[in-house]
Amino acid sequence: MFTARTFTINGQQYDVAIEDGETLLDVLRDRLHLTGTKKGCDSGDCGACTVLIDGEPLNSCLLLASTVEDRSITTIEGLARNGELTPLQKSFVAEGGLQCGYCTPGMVLSATALLERNPDPSADEIKDALAGNLCRCTGYTGILRAVERCKNYLEGGQCAKPRGVEPSGVGASIPRIDAADKVTGRALYTADISLPYMVHGKILGSPIAHGLVKRIDVSKAKALPGVLAVLTGADVTDTKHGVSPARYDEDVLAKDKVRHIGDPVAAVAAVDEKTAERALKLIEVEYERLPVLTDAMEAIKEGAPLIHEKYKSNICTTVDFNFGDVETAFKESHYVREETFVGNNVFQSPLEPHASISTWSHDGNLTLYTSTQVPPYVQYMMAHLLHIPLGKIRVIRPAVGGGFGTKAATTPLDICSALLSRACGRPVKMVYSREEMFQYGRGRHKQHMKIKLGVDREGKIKAVKSEVHLDGGAYTSFGVATAYYAGSMIPTLYKIPNYRYDGYRVMTNKPACGAMRGHGVPQPRFAFECLLSMAADDLGIDPIEIRRRNAMTPNTMTVNDLDIGSCEFSATLDAVAGKSAWKDKYGKLPKGKGIGIGCGGFVSGAGYCIYRGQVQLSHEKGREPFQKKSIFPHANAVVRVTEDGEAAVLMIGAAEIGQGSDTVLVQMCAQSLGIPASRMRMQSADSEISPLDLGAYSSRVTFMAGHAVSRAGAMVLEKMKPYAAALLGCAASEVEARDGTVFVRGDASRSVLWAEVARKCFNADGPLVGTGWYKPPEGLGGDYKGATVGTSPAYSFGSSVCEVSVDLETGKVKIDKFTDYHDCGTPINPQGVHGQVEGAIVMGAGETVMEGVAFGDDGQLLNPNLHGYLIMTIKDAPEIFSGVVDSYEPRGPFGAKEIGEGSTLPVLGAVAHAIANATGVWIKDLPITPEKIVNAIRQKKAADAARRERRDEPVTAK
Amino acid sequence: MHIPSIEVHKAATLAEASALLGRFSPDVRLLAGGTDVLVDLKTARFSVGHLVALGGIKKLRGVTEERDGLRIGALTTITELDRSPLVAGAYAALRDATSRMATPQVRNAATVGGNVAGAVPCADLPPILIAMNATALLSSDKGERTVALEDLVVGPRTTVLRDNELLAAVNVPRPPERFGAAYARFGLREANAIAVAGVAVALALNDDRTVRSARIALCAVAPAPKFVKEATRLLVGRVLDERACAQAAALAMEAAEPISDLRGSAEYRRELVGTLTRRALAAAQQRIGR
Repeated sequence: MFTARTFTINGQQYDVAIEDGETLLDVLRDRLHLTGTKKGCDSGDCGACTVLIDGEPLNSCLLLASTVEDRSITTIEGLARNGELTPLQKSFVAEGGLQCGYCTPGMVLSATALLERNPDPSADEIKDALAGNLCRCTGYTGILRAVERCKNYLEGGQCAKPRGVEPSGVGASIPRIDAADKVTGRALYTADISLPYMVHGKILGSPIAHGLVKRIDVSKAKALPGVLAVLTGADVTDTKHGVSPARYDEDVLAKDKVRHIGDPVAAVAAVDEKTAERALKLIEVEYERLPVLTDAMEAIKEGAPLIHEKYKSNICTTVDFNFGDVETAFKESHYVREETFVGNNVFQSPLEPHASISTWSHDGNLTLYTSTQVPPYVQYMMAHLLHIPLGKIRVIRPAVGGGFGTKAATTPLDICSALLSRACGRPVKMVYSREEMFQYGRGRHKQHMKIKLGVDREGKIKAVKSEVHLDGGAYTSFGVATAYYAGSMIPTLYKIPNYRYDGYRVMTNKPACGAMRGHGVPQPRFAFECLLSMAADDLGIDPIEIRRRNAMTPNTMTVNDLDIGSCEFSATLDAVAGKSAWKDKYGKLPKGKGIGIGCGGFVSGAGYCIYRGQVQLSHEKGREPFQKKSIFPHANAVVRVTEDGEAAVLMIGAAEIGQGSDTVLVQMCAQSLGIPASRMRMQSADSEISPLDLGAYSSRVTFMAGHAVSRAGAMVLEKMKPYAAALLGCAASEVEARDGTVFVRGDASRSVLWAEVARKCFNADGPLVGTGWYKPPEGLGGDYKGATVGTSPAYSFGSSVCEVSVDLETGKVKIDKFTDYHDCGTPINPQGVHGQVEGAIVMGAGETVMEGVAFGDDGQLLNPNLHGYLIMTIKDAPEIFSGVVDSYEPRGPFGAKEIGEGSTLPVLGAVAHAIANATGVWIKDLPITPEKIVNAIRQKKAADAARRERRDEPVTAK
Repeated sequence: MHIPSIEVHKAATLAEASALLGRFSPDVRLLAGGTDVLVDLKTARFSVGHLVALGGIKKLRGVTEERDGLRIGALTTITELDRSPLVAGAYAALRDATSRMATPQVRNAATVGGNVAGAVPCADLPPILIAMNATALLSSDKGERTVALEDLVVGPRTTVLRDNELLAAVNVPRPPERFGAAYARFGLREANAIAVAGVAVALALNDDRTVRSARIALCAVAPAPKFVKEATRLLVGRVLDERACAQAAALAMEAAEPISDLRGSAEYRRELVGTLTRRALAAAQQRIGR
């Protein structure tokens, strides 16, 4: 029943007819199109939907709109007045208080309410006030800074200055170019978009983890008024999809079998989401239950039920790396230790749920809006499934609220929205609920790792051997690559002369795992770092010193044929040791306090794309034999100067997902053009405007897209030089450009405005356009099976020192402090670099001590929400110092390398080591929960007591 | 996650709310802050056709000082209680619960009545209220009655409230001289973490520092908030030395009936009860001062 209601929102009256059961959040977003208020969890856990009610922050998802008619409601749209940001909003912009921006409206509103009540809050008061706003990107460091320094941004403060005055080229910490849109709620994410005549879709997921679909009856759902289309497995293509071309094993909708909770079974389109949800409940499905496998070590046993009958076993990939002679080397080692570690099934939990909108033109072209990290792979997979050419598919990537790997593949929402839209002839929007996000998964593989280390008397590594079983869930997804990555990246950090790795990627009846930040590497890196620290302690060598003795050096070929270029790993070790006062602390802290070290590094972009060297521009073409080179460029850019010469539009399909790629790409392009970044416009969202860039995965964007945009900019400048030379009376080769001025090299007084030269070009030659592209070097990698995985044009390195306090009675860990130094080459935007590091530290630390999807024996997810699956709040986040060491990568754009994923890798080992240092016990299975710590301390006490007792016993003859 | 079709009835008075409850029972729930009810409706933990919204009953809101203690209206939000200037002196122990539960946004909406009468086993207010000897004022068309807070909740989401009866207020008696209370909780993160275990202690001492009264209550370790009666008997008349505290902790551990779940095993929870009891006793003692 609809009732007319009147709301006072941002001082304005709104009259709207609503139903009694509608939340304020849904009324704001769906009825009033005030989409700055975000839906993150719909359960009051994340704070993205925060609004102010009579000045106090509340979750609009937990308020019935019908009960707040007489209250004054403020949304993010109501803060800026007449286009002028509030001082707090300016502070968020300038201090790097946001990345993906999805938590930002709620965060800004909570902070606004705090400052109204308490204009001079302490750091603890700020943390208390923001404890109900989760952020997955920033590590809260920039947010805390933004609120603390808000006073500096009073009207007319720093942000009001024209940006051009400040340096804005490569190396400058300019604010994100999308920051103002994100702090005002103007940035549009996929779920914020409404198309005319649009309807809503939902997917029916399997309620059981393993079973046969015996019968589906959709008649009642179809009969429900408002339902426009219902699809089941019988209605959709038999073509399977996936990520790794070696194995596509996912059905669009279940054909005969379901393999995990939430496995898509049917899809419905209806006039609104509520009707679609009701229709799902009317679909009758009869299942025949099959035994459920939730443990990888059970799934590999002889006679275990097969999850995919088509294959002989539940192992979908076997990796066998064998370099040198590990067995002999172990025999020759002074010290050998073997340990077993177990990782956890961590889920990325970006604040923005996955979302898609599909709409078809009358001539059969699909436009797909999707929250993705990888627009071209989605385009490719959609063409593969819809059996139409790539050219008929347009992918638009609106603002993305974080990905971290769960948005690195084509989702059931992409596919089903397209199919439902085709079926009902209307645009279809589909958005995952928080629970559905967990059921879709693509989080980190839970790895069971047995790892053995041999070193000589000085602690120099002689050999490493590891055996890893990766629990990958019900589908292959990225799993083939994950299994290789888990082995290939270990030898990049330390010199390992003999190395053996056996990897097994195992299927279980859980949501498929994928490529989460650091793809496959963080857990083996955690295991290795722990083992190395154990060895150091056993040998009486300082843990940082043992790392120095083995550290990778520049221009080295690793034992598995990875070509390390620039490498300042040792410098990062020295820097963290000094900055953290390691020598004064390690082994000298009181009980319950601990300090630990961890290191890591990653690729700056995969050397080969997922479709390897083959041309992937047509999905219809068969696979070509593999060649050790990229056939097509991985990153491609066009820059077009506007006709008046005052602005340049950069077009590149690089996926901005919150990591800041739009900003660094604009900086690099502006630098090579010779204009301030403020005169650049970015077009990265639309495949029909921007040329192909493979996307935001494998930490590739700064490096690869950076090359493409720099070259595009340089091409424009080359075209301008003859005209400038004519105006300046010099040779074209003497022309330089900087900050909007073109001048004679060595004599800046002879100059002309950049825009004037650009206008001359246009007047004479028409559109002033430059293009640029990047292909990884040819011949990367060795000649063994799997040699391509882990190849990259450049590698990053980093060291982290973690300090913790442990409550020895309850086992509670407080991560107090992180000191991190990275070799990311020469930073393009230092604030952006530190933002990545801070975010990675908080995400990685959370992963180490509290995160993990839990499953029942029946495969049910036990914590598919943000009050059961815990991520760190601002009160959990440690104090972080992030630094970069001097480094220059000759193969990188302006000397740059990656930072996004490598920054995660040192964290897990550093935290585990610090906890061991504080408690005297190593916890080798993640997450390191308080209960595990308490139990381990108790066991150690018992063992120590037993040992003492044995020692006290009189010695008897044997 | 949409709430299925539902009718919201706004009650202006307690009597009206009681009448509405009677009229729609059992297809009805009360709506106060909504922070639990809305999640339950969205996730279909239960479904009802009617909600009785209490927001309009002004007299149910606010903290007042009465002759014999503090009266906390059931619709008082957690934030209002936390910020009330009346929550001072010995009453301030209530802040151990109000300042730490859930998030600022939830505390701005959630009510004392919901936290108490919602009867969720891990709710933070009941232990400290029980320890401080609070009572619940229940109201229906048949009149009012008072029950001790430890007798209000009988199981998960189950209370002694009758069909058309509402919790109107919680009364916290004025603490005696030389009184101190504290609530110690353990959660898996620094904020917005459901209690894995919680222990509240209220102590009053005689001039000779022997215990005049002692009350210990637990949450999240039993189907309902747990009043540890035996601890009172154990401690009264004794000086709170280390041994007495250890014995009280042991009694609390014995009284706990924890289950194993995602947040911790039964054994771990029991151990936490011991640790938290010792800590709450120490904190309460410290608040009494020398």
